[in-house]
Amino acid sequence: MHSLRWHTPPERERGTEQAECFSSVELRLPARSSELKRARECVSEAATEFNFDPKASYEFVFAVNEAVTNAIKHGSPDRDGTIGLSIDAEGDSLVCSVFDCGPFVAPTTQADMKSDEGGRGFAFMSALTDDLELSVEPDATVVRLRKRRTAGALVRNA
Amino acid sequence: MGYFDISERVIEGDVRVFSVAGDVDFDVAPQLKRRIISRIEAGDRQMIVDLSAAGFIDSTAIGVLVGALRRLSDAGGSLVVVCDNEDVRSIFETVGLESVITLHRSHEDAFAALAHTA
Repeated sequence: MHSLRWHTPPERERGTEQAECFSSVELRLPARSSELKRARECVSEAATEFNFDPKASYEFVFAVNEAVTNAIKHGSPDRDGTIGLSIDAEGDSLVCSVFDCGPFVAPTTQADMKSDEGGRGFAFMSALTDDLELSVEPDATVVRLRKRRTAGALVRNA
Repeated sequence: MGYFDISERVIEGDVRVFSVAGDVDFDVAPQLKRRIISRIEAGDRQMIVDLSAAGFIDSTAIGVLVGALRRLSDAGGSLVVVCDNEDVRSIFETVGLESVITLHRSHEDAFAALAHTA
């Protein structure tokens, strides 16, 4: 298995408590672009449950939406025609994995914000999360996005 | 798929305004691209894309806007965007997009910017 990782330096203090009631989410989505909204709603609900502040929630939803879009656009669904999405709590972070059954398709264009082509997806994912990990096998691509909860979120939502 | 709508009007004689409502993602962004390109090909050169009623906007939608801006610039025209959604504005700042596309908070500001570049 090949694994690539991008790390974004922490910009905020770590939260000191973990959301005790967070329930892990497992979702299978038909590999159709019309399902993107359902994926965003699922991630938004999870981020709210995990006490992300609204800005962090929007950023996480944006990043995951890019990963799901890539899986639908470039990946391969399973035999049921679906791709997978899971969301878990890890300490003070929310981790979302998006997986499909195809080989990784590298962007064909530079991640240039001035470009009018696609290819910005990974740049957004990296900029909007604390950790982006790409696991690539011949028959599976998994994008794992981790975003830390801001220290003040629990206090504000207490 | 959620609600999505594009409406058009012409103001000040030759400024084409696209008002976009709902989420603009990979599912529907191609519709926006086709509408804009068809107007460019028909000769429109001054455009305002009003995202005031838009919800979520993904990188595909941003690519459509950047592409339209480039096409219009190459043809001697211009495109400006209205967006006062703080989440979207924050995303643009985070990835350095505000230097590529300026997000104007009001229709009046956008129109003034368009008039300035014409």
